[in-house]
Amino acid sequence: MSPFEIGLASFGAMVVMVYLGFWVPFALMLSSYVGVWLIKGSPILAGKLLALAASETISSYFFGVVPLFVLMGYLVSVTGMGRDAFDVANHAFRRLSGGLAIGTVGANAIFAAITGISIASAAVFTRIAVPEMMRHGYSPRFSAGVVAGSSVLGMLIPPSLLLILYGLLTEQSVGDLFIAGVIPGLLLALIFGVGIWLTAHLWPSALGEGVSRDDTPALTPREVAEKGLPIALLIALVLGGIYGGIFTPIEAGAVGCAGAILIGLARRTLGWRDFWQVLNDTGLVTAAISFLIIAAQMYSRMLALSGVPAEFGSFVSEADIGYWGVILAYVVLVILMGTILDSSSIMLILVPLMLPVLATFDVNLIWFGIVTIVAVEIGLLTPPFGISVFVIKSALDDPSITLGDIFRGAAPFALMMLVLLALILAFPWLATALV
Amino acid sequence: MDNQPSNDPDEISALPRWFQLARRVLDAVTTGLNVLGTLLIVVIMLLVNADVIGRSVFNNPVSGVPEMVSMSIVAIVFLQVAQAFRMGRLTRTDAIPQFLKTRAPRLQLGMEVLFGAAAGFLVWQIYAASVPLFQKAWVRNTFEGTVGDFTAPIWPVKLIILIGCMALLCQIALTTLGVALRLFRSSEHTT
Repeated sequence: MSPFEIGLASFGAMVVMVYLGFWVPFALMLSSYVGVWLIKGSPILAGKLLALAASETISSYFFGVVPLFVLMGYLVSVTGMGRDAFDVANHAFRRLSGGLAIGTVGANAIFAAITGISIASAAVFTRIAVPEMMRHGYSPRFSAGVVAGSSVLGMLIPPSLLLILYGLLTEQSVGDLFIAGVIPGLLLALIFGVGIWLTAHLWPSALGEGVSRDDTPALTPREVAEKGLPIALLIALVLGGIYGGIFTPIEAGAVGCAGAILIGLARRTLGWRDFWQVLNDTGLVTAAISFLIIAAQMYSRMLALSGVPAEFGSFVSEADIGYWGVILAYVVLVILMGTILDSSSIMLILVPLMLPVLATFDVNLIWFGIVTIVAVEIGLLTPPFGISVFVIKSALDDPSITLGDIFRGAAPFALMMLVLLALILAFPWLATALV
Repeated sequence: MDNQPSNDPDEISALPRWFQLARRVLDAVTTGLNVLGTLLIVVIMLLVNADVIGRSVFNNPVSGVPEMVSMSIVAIVFLQVAQAFRMGRLTRTDAIPQFLKTRAPRLQLGMEVLFGAAAGFLVWQIYAASVPLFQKAWVRNTFEGTVGDFTAPIWPVKLIILIGCMALLCQIALTTLGVALRLFRSSEHTT
């Protein structure tokens, strides 16, 4: 077999192993190990590749802050700032039909500005918003669906862990990527809000039987300030610090953590037990993500050895399917992979493969990053593997709401994300206007 | 987020006593490593903040923060990866395994054994190929940073990689052994 054929075969073998339920990082490692062995004819060399990737891949300042972005997301949730965002957003939207659902979307948009991971949003708002919505007559399916749908805002509105990862893969400025995510993020929140409002008017039974008007008393201006101020402070600290040039986007996670801890201590909402629990969870999430990244790095080194990305690049440019053919094929592939894989794995597998292809078309990599994130995030909501939905299911702890219910509830939101994706593809300035 | 180990306690309690003892010892070690990694995250947070504040307020940055952070993240990952495996946090799809679990439970257990063996083999490869990297760092006393400003030896990180791989290997081996014992027993019952 030629190296090219070995590369292709190892890709196929990897996909099969992942489907069969082999751990994704080990599936990537095994296909790289066997691939390098066959290409270079030496198992020792293949082992060396694994060891070097293990010690080198994540050893950078850039990666060192990954746990801090995860920790910041968890901290703002245990210190009660998610609840506050929810109260303030509900206050703002209480007169609209479907107001509670729109309020959940709004709260997620606010929360997204201080967290970089969707799973934090999903976990927080499952506990806060779902019981509240069900109490007001929304169906469990719709309530969980709203939370699942709006949790993806966490990755699109800066700061965002996925955008950092993309920046690392493509050597683009993380600050630019963050700015590029602002308009698409707000637009998506708007699309969700309008979608819910229209459904409430045109097809009220879809929200649930007998949705009662929101009877929560309006907050006094003092309460709004009390609940809104800490979040506003934290957003101002994180985003203001980045764009004021006081610290880099990479350092923002650490500053945000410190800010969240200080606010939590000042309001006496952060206890030792919570803090330790959150730290522990952060460590496990970090280890799982980083281990996956290490494995993906081994895999992309093997692919580079096999020459598949370069051949693939020249194949695509010669195949004459044109610019739109390539972009659309890529988007479809990302969404398909999103049904079985988590966001970071998809990006780590596909983006390095696409880079040489993109170079031939002179694609704006910032715009391409936003397209990638939106497409990848659709996968968070689609079965059989939808991380956001899994997180909601485990945070709900209510056996009467099945995974299938949540997936069905999230489906309209996945469709609305497709609309956003089409808009960004058609109007690239949505992503690049502010950069 | 559920924090239960991926192993069903009922299924474990049916296994031999020596196995349960080994499991307890290994889990204690794994948890210890996990705590160290968790503390290191706090250290990173404090370091980056000290650097930002020192730089912008006192015009006096902390030297070596990027180097320390980039070394720490490797340590954090390898200190925690065994625990992440134990808690079932490593990404995998479970559509087909769940399907098989009800229809062909022995096939599903057999696949688990095979997967465990393959994963163990790979971690062993990483371990074996990482030993020379540690020896090189130890013998030559290689360091990270710039002479005169900040330097730190890299052998502790390389050592943590070895320790973390070993802990992960033991977790994989023990879990797989547990599955294999169940598979063996279920075949005794059926025949």
